[in-house]
Amino acid sequence: MNAQTRRERIAAALFLAPDMVGLLVFLVLPMLLSLVLAFFQVDGFGGIEFVGLDNYARMIDDPQFWVSLRVTLAYVVFLVPLLFGTSLGLALLVRQKIPAVGVFRTAFFLPYMVSVVVVGLLWRYMLGDDIGIVPSALSGLGVPAPSFLGDPAYALGTVVAITVWVSAGYYMVIFLAGLQDIPREYYEAARLDGAGPVRSFRAVTWPLLKPTSFFVLLTSTIAAVTGGFDLVFVLTNGGPANSTSLLVFYVYQQAFQFGEFGYASALSSVLVLVLLVWSLLLFRITKAGKFSYDDA
Amino acid sequence: MTTPDTRRRRARLGLFLLATVLAALTVFPLLWMVTGAFKGPGEVGGTNLLPQSPTLDNFDYVFTQVPFLRYLLNSFFVSAVVTVIALFFHSMAAYALARLRFPGRDRIFLFIFATLLITFPAVLVPLFVIVRELGMLNSYAGLIVPAIFNAFGIFLLRQFYITLPTELEEAAKIDGAGYWRIYFSVILPLSRPIMSALAVFFFLANWNSFIWPLVITGDQELNVVQLGIASFQQQYSGKWEYVITAAAVAAVPTMLLFVFFQRQIVESIKTAGIK
Amino acid sequence: MSGLSRRHVLGLGALAALSACGGPARGPDAPMTFWQFYAPAPQQTEYQQQQSRWFIELVEAWNSEHRRKIELVYVPVRDYLGGAKLPTAFATGAGPDIFLLSPGDFLRYYNGGALQDLTPHLSRQVIDDFMPGTLETRTVGGRVFGLPMEIEPMAMFYSTNAFEAAGLSEGDIPRTWDQLLGVARRLKAAGQRGMVFHTVPGYYQNFAWYPFLWSAGGTVTNPDGTSAFDSPATVRALSFWQEAVRSGVSPRTLPGEDDPTVAFSQGLVSLWHRGIWTVKELQDVPDVRYGVFPTPVPEGGSYTTSLGGWAFVANARGRDPEAAAEFCAFALGSQRPEAVQRIVDWCIKVKTDIPPRRSALDKAVAQGGFESGVMRTFLRDVLPGARGEPRLPPVAYKAVSDAIQATMLGGADPKAAASAADRAITAYLKTYRGAEF
Repeated sequence: MNAQTRRERIAAALFLAPDMVGLLVFLVLPMLLSLVLAFFQVDGFGGIEFVGLDNYARMIDDPQFWVSLRVTLAYVVFLVPLLFGTSLGLALLVRQKIPAVGVFRTAFFLPYMVSVVVVGLLWRYMLGDDIGIVPSALSGLGVPAPSFLGDPAYALGTVVAITVWVSAGYYMVIFLAGLQDIPREYYEAARLDGAGPVRSFRAVTWPLLKPTSFFVLLTSTIAAVTGGFDLVFVLTNGGPANSTSLLVFYVYQQAFQFGEFGYASALSSVLVLVLLVWSLLLFRITKAGKFSYDDA
Repeated sequence: MTTPDTRRRRARLGLFLLATVLAALTVFPLLWMVTGAFKGPGEVGGTNLLPQSPTLDNFDYVFTQVPFLRYLLNSFFVSAVVTVIALFFHSMAAYALARLRFPGRDRIFLFIFATLLITFPAVLVPLFVIVRELGMLNSYAGLIVPAIFNAFGIFLLRQFYITLPTELEEAAKIDGAGYWRIYFSVILPLSRPIMSALAVFFFLANWNSFIWPLVITGDQELNVVQLGIASFQQQYSGKWEYVITAAAVAAVPTMLLFVFFQRQIVESIKTAGIK
Repeated sequence: MSGLSRRHVLGLGALAALSACGGPARGPDAPMTFWQFYAPAPQQTEYQQQQSRWFIELVEAWNSEHRRKIELVYVPVRDYLGGAKLPTAFATGAGPDIFLLSPGDFLRYYNGGALQDLTPHLSRQVIDDFMPGTLETRTVGGRVFGLPMEIEPMAMFYSTNAFEAAGLSEGDIPRTWDQLLGVARRLKAAGQRGMVFHTVPGYYQNFAWYPFLWSAGGTVTNPDGTSAFDSPATVRALSFWQEAVRSGVSPRTLPGEDDPTVAFSQGLVSLWHRGIWTVKELQDVPDVRYGVFPTPVPEGGSYTTSLGGWAFVANARGRDPEAAAEFCAFALGSQRPEAVQRIVDWCIKVKTDIPPRRSALDKAVAQGGFESGVMRTFLRDVLPGARGEPRLPPVAYKAVSDAIQATMLGGADPKAAASAADRAITAYLKTYRGAEF
């Protein structure tokens, strides 16, 4: 090893050190502790006992685990396509040559800037059964308003819809970036071939947008599996009738309401596993974070 | 007779109307919140968007009953400090990962990327223990230090640095510059655009964080604004005129942030997405 | 006693070691902390300021006589009830020295070894002075681990305006469930709002539902500690709340975000099943006229209601558990006249509750605390026959909560919900190793 290589390695180590130490201490160490905890019964008061796989056995017998898994699955299955379609639609829309397009872009992105606590309060105010403007407007139109936050048939859908409202602008911008990278000439060529908007979308936009679409699908899925907690926390507290009890919420409940930190760790390891699979998939598709058209 | 030209104009008008309706629907809740802040108790449950008799009483009440200014300042201080330190550390790490050669580089990057998948509820308790052992409970340090380390920024900056041309670095090397000088005088200035974009994002994320401050602070003096409005809502639950005013007070700074830094924010999302 | 709670396994590494050491973070002479949820912030209403001041004065009284000082820490109530704050603090050995505890949480803290025995600081007379149903839920094996500061029974609050608008009078006050549903239907038919049973899942909802279970003749667990939940009484009680929601007389969310001042003054509610503290909340609210009646019973059922209320407890692993226990006794378990008067002040001056000790109740009656209409109703008609909130471990609590939620809001079959909960409780009890319920 020559001096140059050595100097480069030492420099790299020094450059990496602050973040690596921080990540190890504040993210990896807690994560490892949490994974280890899954094999212990913890009483929440410092008492701790090795129980092997008991927490996992308990999980299989715990109906709430399966309910939460189902809620999480439903949440992801509804949210991801809806978010995908909405944000792609918005991106296509604000790419047109229409007046005041900058204002529209701003408008669609604005909800993303608002914190979850505020979003929760705001929608409780908008959807409240007794004073909410949405139920009032519906009754004004002669439609009987359901209880958006009090009826299990609607609550999860409400959470999904609010999440779309918050995040669609964010993914819209990602799609816009992808759309911008598609050379104009391709559209010209399609137009000369006599393709209308639908055909040019199918022949040009969709295939060339694939890397972006992959990225949006995978990251929004990760966000959906790990997220939703804050919103559920401020909006529905897991209810009514456990209809919004996402797995992340159940983890929180077990850990912080019942002090079952060991069991909560076992539950969250299921999430970790799901995400590990997703992230490996993400890496396969994106080749370690590099996106290019060749991958599509 | 319709020519292709008038057809296109009609289509454009249709799209414009569609965009207007969708934008109005998107912004309406925010507008409803902001105008709600100017409504009295008699009107806050009503159906008029604009208050019939606008009032500033709610603001007066919110700011005098609760030290909201203090909460806003706390949030600002914590978010700003986290942002500055995080940008500095992350760009250093990203520089090493993108521009320096050393064994295990890809593994380290993969490892850093993998930390993105750690869910917060899963690590909350162990993290609390660690922060407590470091003596940072109930302090600004406890709010700031754990929030700095996040793979997202490293990932984005690394993606950006990979695309930089090597010529400038080479030139600096020939001049005999060390790695630190190359980083400081070549790489950092080049990263201005993405750094300002990331700055907005980090600031936003920290301004909006809720669960962590909730768990580790107890002192009223340390309350951040999200905590402030959440606990305000608990005390004044049914009095929507106050609650929605508090919500608006907490939301307006970040919305203004967006209006001022729109370009940077959009840039940073684009960088996160592609390339 | 639980054998598992203090067993530390060697070699687990940081977490166990760190959480085990616990204790004072600020030196041995640092003041003890007392966590409670009565906000010190300037408030709109006089009574909230008074409640906060009551705590401040209590702590000042202690601090002026004792070397070991106490410091009040305010925790917003939602973070307290089912929030992360208290459990996180205890899990890491950073729990408060003194704190408020509800019966719903008692077993978790007791089984975790977090509660200090208060008995050495209490005289026999004081223990006997506590009213029946108040100390039982805080006692294990004859030792007292918490002192209640208040008794809070549940009853039905009704809006006089709504009753008049529907042509109802005091003579129509329902005594049975069927009559109650009938009244609620008449109110709805007259264009008034309906009847509110608590909708949000949590300890409080269970607490509000127990009177319905009990008056139908049911119970969650048998005296021998086995599950008694799969019973016709459970099905009956679940069906009643379900019917109220299904028929549209009861809302699926709480009116006015659970704020009775807003709900009653804006006419968002006609009947509300709530606790005695509501009297204070509604005091001095303009345009609110209301009355109270005991919770109705099913045909052939016998009257009861549930008693809530918070207790002072001392952290057995705090800075100075003995001093913390002594403080609890100083505050609520002393025979000094000023201590008894402090309980009276809490229950009739700054809140509207029933004092948990006979001597304090006698004083409160003598000082006119139960002369007004509704408070008299509470003391005379609501309180007799009431039962303390049962202390269930979290798994059993959650099973009951899931059954209530699934039937009331999810429309599930009450029979199936009752037996599902029963199975969950039974399975849990097989391995339960803590104190009796």
